[in-house]
Amino acid sequence: MTVVIVIAVLLVIVTGVQLLKIAELRAKSKGENIWEVKEKDGKFQASLMIVFLIAYMAYFFWQIYAWGDRVLPEPASEHGVPYDFLLNLTLGIISSVFVLTHIFLLYFAYKYAYSAKRKAYHFAHSNKLELIWTIVPSLALTVLILFGLNNWNKIMKPVPAETEHVLLELTGQQFTWTARYAGEDKKLGRSHVTLIEGANATGVDATDEFAKDDKIVKGEFHLPVNVPVQFVFRSIDIIHSAYMPHFRSQMNCVPGVKTQFNFVPTKTTAEMREITGNKDFNYILLCNKICGAAHYNMQMDIVVESKEDYEKWLAEQKSFVE
Amino acid sequence: MTSIAMENMDYKQEVKNKTSKPLLWIGIVSIVMFFGGLTSAVIVSQGGGGFINIALPDAFLVSTIVIVLSSIAFHLGLLATKKGKQQQAKMAVLATMVLGLTFVFTQYLGWSDLVARGYYLSGTSQESSYLYLLTILHVLHLIGGLVSLSIVLVKTFKKRYTPQNYLGVEVSITYWHFLGGLWIYLFFFLMYITA
Amino acid sequence: MSTHHHHHEDFLFKYIFSTDHKMISKQFLITGFTMGFIGLVMSTLFRLQLGWPGESFEMVELLMGSWQENGIMAPDKYLALVTMHGTIMVFFLLTAGLSGTFSNLLIPLQIGARDMASGFLNMLSYWFFFLSSVLMLISLFVEGGAASAGWTIYPPLSALPQAIPGSGAGMTLWLFSMAIFIVSSLLGSLNYIVTIFNMRTKGMSMTRLPLTIWAFLFTAIIGVLSFPVLLSAALLLVMDRMFGTSFYLSDIYIGGQVLDHAGGSPILFEHLFWFLGHPEVYIVLLPALGITSEIISTMARKPIFGYRAMIGSMMAIGFLSFIVWGHHMFVTGMNPFLGAVFTFTTLLIAIPSAVKVFNYITTLWKGNIVYSPATLFSVGLVSTFITGGVTGLVLGNSALDINVHDTYFVVGHFHIVMGLSAIFGMFAGVYHWFPKLFGRMMNNKLGNLHFWTTIASAYGVFFPMHFLGLAGVPRRYYTNSEFPLFDNMVDINEFVSTFAVIALVAQLIFMFNFIYSAFRGPRAPQNPWKGTTLEWTTPVEHIHGNWYGEIPAVYRWPYDYSKVDENGEFLYGDDYIMQTTPMGENENDGGH
Ligand code: HEM
Ligand SMILES: [Cu+2]
Ligand SMILES: [Cu+2]
Repeated sequence: MTVVIVIAVLLVIVTGVQLLKIAELRAKSKGENIWEVKEKDGKFQASLMIVFLIAYMAYFFWQIYAWGDRVLPEPASEHGVPYDFLLNLTLGIISSVFVLTHIFLLYFAYKYAYSAKRKAYHFAHSNKLELIWTIVPSLALTVLILFGLNNWNKIMKPVPAETEHVLLELTGQQFTWTARYAGEDKKLGRSHVTLIEGANATGVDATDEFAKDDKIVKGEFHLPVNVPVQFVFRSIDIIHSAYMPHFRSQMNCVPGVKTQFNFVPTKTTAEMREITGNKDFNYILLCNKICGAAHYNMQMDIVVESKEDYEKWLAEQKSFVE
Repeated sequence: MTSIAMENMDYKQEVKNKTSKPLLWIGIVSIVMFFGGLTSAVIVSQGGGGFINIALPDAFLVSTIVIVLSSIAFHLGLLATKKGKQQQAKMAVLATMVLGLTFVFTQYLGWSDLVARGYYLSGTSQESSYLYLLTILHVLHLIGGLVSLSIVLVKTFKKRYTPQNYLGVEVSITYWHFLGGLWIYLFFFLMYITA
Repeated sequence: MSTHHHHHEDFLFKYIFSTDHKMISKQFLITGFTMGFIGLVMSTLFRLQLGWPGESFEMVELLMGSWQENGIMAPDKYLALVTMHGTIMVFFLLTAGLSGTFSNLLIPLQIGARDMASGFLNMLSYWFFFLSSVLMLISLFVEGGAASAGWTIYPPLSALPQAIPGSGAGMTLWLFSMAIFIVSSLLGSLNYIVTIFNMRTKGMSMTRLPLTIWAFLFTAIIGVLSFPVLLSAALLLVMDRMFGTSFYLSDIYIGGQVLDHAGGSPILFEHLFWFLGHPEVYIVLLPALGITSEIISTMARKPIFGYRAMIGSMMAIGFLSFIVWGHHMFVTGMNPFLGAVFTFTTLLIAIPSAVKVFNYITTLWKGNIVYSPATLFSVGLVSTFITGGVTGLVLGNSALDINVHDTYFVVGHFHIVMGLSAIFGMFAGVYHWFPKLFGRMMNNKLGNLHFWTTIASAYGVFFPMHFLGLAGVPRRYYTNSEFPLFDNMVDINEFVSTFAVIALVAQLIFMFNFIYSAFRGPRAPQNPWKGTTLEWTTPVEHIHGNWYGEIPAVYRWPYDYSKVDENGEFLYGDDYIMQTTPMGENENDGGH
């Protein structure tokens, strides 16, 4: 096998060298310089620019057509709606810019190919034009920035303590997730890595009053629909990232630091199964920060259900002291 | 005329005259960024709570005085060289050398003091780690300065510098002043964060 | 004139320890391309895994040995390859390879200097680069494998061999290699800056510099300001790894043990790293932009449109690049107010970038474009710069980044805007200045073929990645097959990987053309592309000192193409006027 490949490669190289030599000799015999770009060849390359324009744009739209429905389904969280709006707005703007500038670029590249009959136009600058293309992008950007900052401030605002909400801690470690509910007292007990021992895999402090009723779950966690969820993120080893794409939500889990994020789930798992037409659909929590060999398989399922179902499920879970 | 002016010693000298100092200056900028990065790191870390308060060793104050004196001595040396007073220049550069070595010695005293008080490079606190790291890195840069200073010293003793030709002294002194300034910055910075 | 005597330098000093900028340029080019090819092969290998996860590629096992047991790549080896690929491409190919080659070649030739300010430092710069390349490659073979924490080497992953085997000896070598690399880069930058400021020939004012030189100048300045900070970041990491300090580490339980480290923060590393990391993308990009500015103008036989605006936008980009690093850290839990500030500064960069694009397009408008392979790659660069640039508006906006951060959307974005643009600029530069590098011409037909296959396969590889990203596929995943969610990504992944293989094959065309032409290509004339700049006044053969006799003086800016008199006839009879041609009596300098 190896021998065959080596021979084949050698043959290709030798043929290539011979072809180049022949081409050079032919050019020489015609008194031409082989490296000089002949008008005819330039025109051909220029026409390829048009082919490229058409092919590239067709490719772009084909991808949208073929793969456009494989992107994330409609958002399952409250802030996901303005998120998707801004995303689509931005994608719309940049797609138009992309298409338009390519039309100009490649059309000019085609149209103005070298011809001995023409002279290029010595045109070195124009303050007016340059001003236009400083101002127009600035305006478009202003819109995007304003929308963005507005959304961002809303997204990052923690759930006010007085609002009814679920307080949930997610702890990352190579290569699993652990969820901890605050329990009856609505407070998470202290935790520290020095307390990790046996079944207490995330180091919850058993002596802390607040910890006693905390509920620790693995494999999957549940959320009530339409109730704000305040997440707190921890890691006990290296950086992970809690990514819940359907909720348009991501936050890093950093050892030694507590981070947070919150959202309001708006669609139950059952509803989402209907929307996606996939009866096996599940919301998912993935790790999205390189964390080691099994990074690609660090996951936890999320179930969103009615408040009643959620409370029933939670009641079945053991509390920390048990 | 040789057709390739490159081989011409005058040309080489001219390039050297024109570019030695700018090269050094830009080198200095990169060293500033290096220490700038580290001292910003100290500030960011300070917010994180890995700090305990450590009084700066008194020896570091002595270092500060010594390095200022060394810069003055070197400056006198340069003036003497410019005026062609070679005897004076010798004494001044020699004094700079002695003061430079004294500086390193006082740094060593400072570290010993820290060790005696139980602060180590690692395992004590971040502040302790930073204290060692910044001062050691400064001394490492200073060793470069000492090397260049010894070249100046030797050349001064060999009477290589004249009032017309003292580029080497100028380059060396620029770096030396910079090291002094850097130390003073570090000293006040450390004083500020340990206060 | 012809009495030049040949020094009988021995081989060692002519080819190895040369202080001649032209030779050093070639050394950078060849070392850079070699590294780049290795990085490219790596990407093809891990793309095979992503396209056909778990499938056995026995042929690859021949190459990879124990890394590819039974033809299947192991997950930790996958991460090692991704990390080395990223590191090699960004630093070795596109920082040292690109800047090192063209700054070295063009700065003295285009400003009219006999060599760099310090040939000795320049030589050191190359040899440090070479040493760091060798160390980086050796790290592939050490116990535990090469560094595997991603090219961004975030601790704690990069600090703890318990977390991934590559963080042992492999990471140590990575850090040492990069430290040497940084020294090399700094020595280079020092030289470039000082040479540009101090060694310009008579008449070469700053506003008569070709845009290439401006680009190299900004690149070097950015390098001097940012690389030392990376060095400081790396140093603290080395301390944590080797001396037990806790700059970055705190509260860690791993391998059944609580570590002693307390009080540190990995976020500190991210700040220091990205303070370099973002400017780094412009270190990669600006030289490519400079090169294409020059080529587009020369080949369109038109002045570059908006010379001052081009300089101004590079300056703006360079400045802004230092105050946007936080856009890589929107989801690290940073203060939301800071996030807002970084969103603002980041999106601002779009403005000077847009100015550049429109100026390129206007330069082509009503030009008389000669299509060499360099022209093709330059037009290609404008295309990739647009395609990759626009998606930056999604990633730079904190409110949108939260859901695409670290997904394949990012991989698509930075490969196109930084990887492809810089590579295209580099190819364009090689085709265009090959006569200055090797005194011979490359083959145009092969060059054209190389361009079309490359751009087609490149978009085949990187465009679909946006869709993967919008579907939530994370980057740095060994396979997407563990999530039912991603089951319908299989054919996209196969599509991408197929084009990755084609892209590799396409580069063989270039390799062949390059090697053949360097040794056997037709001899170059002095000024094959009819350029106006000083490098085209030097003799074709390489001589020490670049010009026989005096260095020519300069009388005009570098873009007097197709200048006509009031009758519409070319001034001086041709469509280009060399910078060395004195201004005619009533000639209008156009006010540049
Ligand atoms: C055809 C050529 C290339 C292919 C097929 C390719 C493919 C890829 C892929 C698929 C990844 C992501 C792997 C993952 O996240 O699991 C990646 C990462 C990367 N590539 Fe490329 N790449 C190519 C060329 C380049 C070039 C020219 C650059 C120069 C900028 C580059 C820079 C990077 C960097 C910085 C990363 C990130 C590495 C990391 O995650 O630590 N690549 N490449
Ligand atoms: Cu993880
Ligand atoms: Cu950035």
